[in-house]
Amino acid sequence: MSTYTETQLDALRELANIGSGQAAAALSTMLGHPVDISVPTAAAMELADAVAVAGEADASCHGILVPIVGDFEAAVVLLVPDDDAQQLCDVYGLDPHSEDGASFLQEIGNILGTSYINVLAEMCGMDMEPAPPQVVYDMLGAILASVLLARDETADMALVLDSALTVEGRPCSLSFLLIPAGGGVHELLGRIGVA
Amino acid sequence: MPPELPARMGEWVIGTEPGTVLCCIGLGSCIGLALIDRRTRMAGLAHVMLPEAPASTGTRPSQPDKFADHAVPNLIAAMIERGSARHRLEAVLVGGAQMFRSEPSRPGLSSRDIGARNEAAVREQLGKARIPVRAAATGGGKGRSMRVHVPAGEVVYKEAAGLPITLLEADADTLRMAA
Repeated sequence: MSTYTETQLDALRELANIGSGQAAAALSTMLGHPVDISVPTAAAMELADAVAVAGEADASCHGILVPIVGDFEAAVVLLVPDDDAQQLCDVYGLDPHSEDGASFLQEIGNILGTSYINVLAEMCGMDMEPAPPQVVYDMLGAILASVLLARDETADMALVLDSALTVEGRPCSLSFLLIPAGGGVHELLGRIGVA
Repeated sequence: MPPELPARMGEWVIGTEPGTVLCCIGLGSCIGLALIDRRTRMAGLAHVMLPEAPASTGTRPSQPDKFADHAVPNLIAAMIERGSARHRLEAVLVGGAQMFRSEPSRPGLSSRDIGARNEAAVREQLGKARIPVRAAATGGGKGRSMRVHVPAGEVVYKEAAGLPITLLEADADTLRMAA
């Protein structure tokens, strides 16, 4: 069972802040609109609580999974409510439920996930590679529980780094979660000197 | 709206009070296992997350009921303690989906398809206890929510943005046997 000190959670929050800042800049270039990020939260929670704080378990949303492989195994998950996905897709005149809309959301996942992970990899000197993103439209609880369980079958606690991105001029926001698998986090904390 | 009694991830609940609705919301690779006793009009619902507790540790896992090999026998025992009997229990399974394509597996893991392994593990435990599976909505790639109505034992599930589908009719067997 993994627990983290306040110092470690602060360090993870700072990493998330830098990573999501880079991701927001990349999304802003893609959409041609300024993108704001919230101050990220970092918390270690029981799996059931991690799902509960993300939102209503049966709320339908678009889930974009970007698996991270290499020295550091993790998942980047974007949760986008349907109205917000509609706003994003409107930029290019797409329907989020069409094939083109899904591939546009996949591309957003790709850009956000890649820029976030590249920053982490550079700062920690670890090898991290994003795998091709997958997009589903489903119940929030089902998406998140499936991702959390697939990461680490032995963990009782999940570490979730959460940032919210807001696109200016388009009333839309999305949650951006980084969910590391078990041992990788301690390796990462060691590299930045807060093991 | 009748009071809902949710089984959260890694927990089980038992309903005996008429009007109670047991529910599992947002099942992905998890399995919602409903056990129905039509005689005592009692129902149990477990939200199973993983197939089996890791064997190596030797100690009792901190949340045993997230594993099928603990949750299923524990729920059966708790229902018997409240006046049910093993031979009257009927099972309904929902969930066990694979929402994302499996990724390259890590060493030591036979398969990343946790949903299918969860279903197999729950069925194995039910087989050991000789409890029949009356209906199931499992596998596939979509998340599901399920509700079990006490006292009639009706089991209903739905997928995201879908319509409710009845898996087990209210008192179906009792009616059939009486006819």
